[in-house]
Amino acid sequence: MKVKSAIVVAALGLITALPAIAHHSFGAEFDENKPIELKGVVTKVEWQNPHVYFYVDVKDSNGATVNWGLETDSPGGLIRRGWTHTSLKVGDQVTVKGYVAKDGSHLADARLVTLPDGRKVYGGTAGDGGPGDPGGN
Amino acid sequence: MHLMQLCQWLYDSHFGTVIRESQFAFPLIESVHVLGIALLVGTVLLVDLRLLGVLMEEEPVSEVVSRVLPLTWCGFVVQVLSGVLLFWAKAAQYYENPAFRWKVALLLVAGLNPLVFHSTVYRGVSAWNEKHTTPIGAKIAGILSLTLWSGVIIAGRATAYFGK
Repeated sequence: MKVKSAIVVAALGLITALPAIAHHSFGAEFDENKPIELKGVVTKVEWQNPHVYFYVDVKDSNGATVNWGLETDSPGGLIRRGWTHTSLKVGDQVTVKGYVAKDGSHLADARLVTLPDGRKVYGGTAGDGGPGDPGGN
Repeated sequence: MHLMQLCQWLYDSHFGTVIRESQFAFPLIESVHVLGIALLVGTVLLVDLRLLGVLMEEEPVSEVVSRVLPLTWCGFVVQVLSGVLLFWAKAAQYYENPAFRWKVALLLVAGLNPLVFHSTVYRGVSAWNEKHTTPIGAKIAGILSLTLWSGVIIAGRATAYFGK
């Protein structure tokens, strides 16, 4: 392959990699202008890769119960912050501060979670660029 | 047993659960799967580019094939092993995932392409082995391979954006 062509191809390749610098994925799914605070009872915990999800029954202003899904980081990410797969169990009371999904569903990204033992832990995915993201990546 | 039931059984199994809930195993197996792409697709690319006459044109096609494809097969084994583990961990979810379904469909066709090529066009390779330009059937096989494997990779990456 000619050297000149190789250089052109390499340059084009590098240019297409530029969008990767904007690695922040929070804004693709969640709305930072729609903060929400949810208090309720845990109905399900999906302790899995790539994201741990938990579900909470929340009473809305009319007294009806709405089930919300909360997205957090990976099991590894959460363990490094001190919460394990037994920190949150079905039936536990939990308070979550987060941001609602852009698609209007009952899904939010959990930024601050108050666990049953009173500890407040960061629930966001490291490096996602959302509110409170300490950086990562 | 319906396919969905099998996927649910895999998902619910202890083995699948351990991988899915792991701190290190899942990311590690995923990383091996990415390295496997380099080994499988990175090498088959060399053969495809020879078929298209843009790389190693001075080398006989059969030389490029015999030297490169063993590596491609190694890559294939790595991908099957790591892929089965990843699938096992989240089978029930991947079953529903449209991006994953596309990946499987493209994978099947990507696998059929070389089967067809080797049992038809390649049979007559001695007639064009030394030539820079290969028959149209060989070029089509090369383009299909590049396109289909790219599609498998894109669908595989997209899987994360269409489900959990």
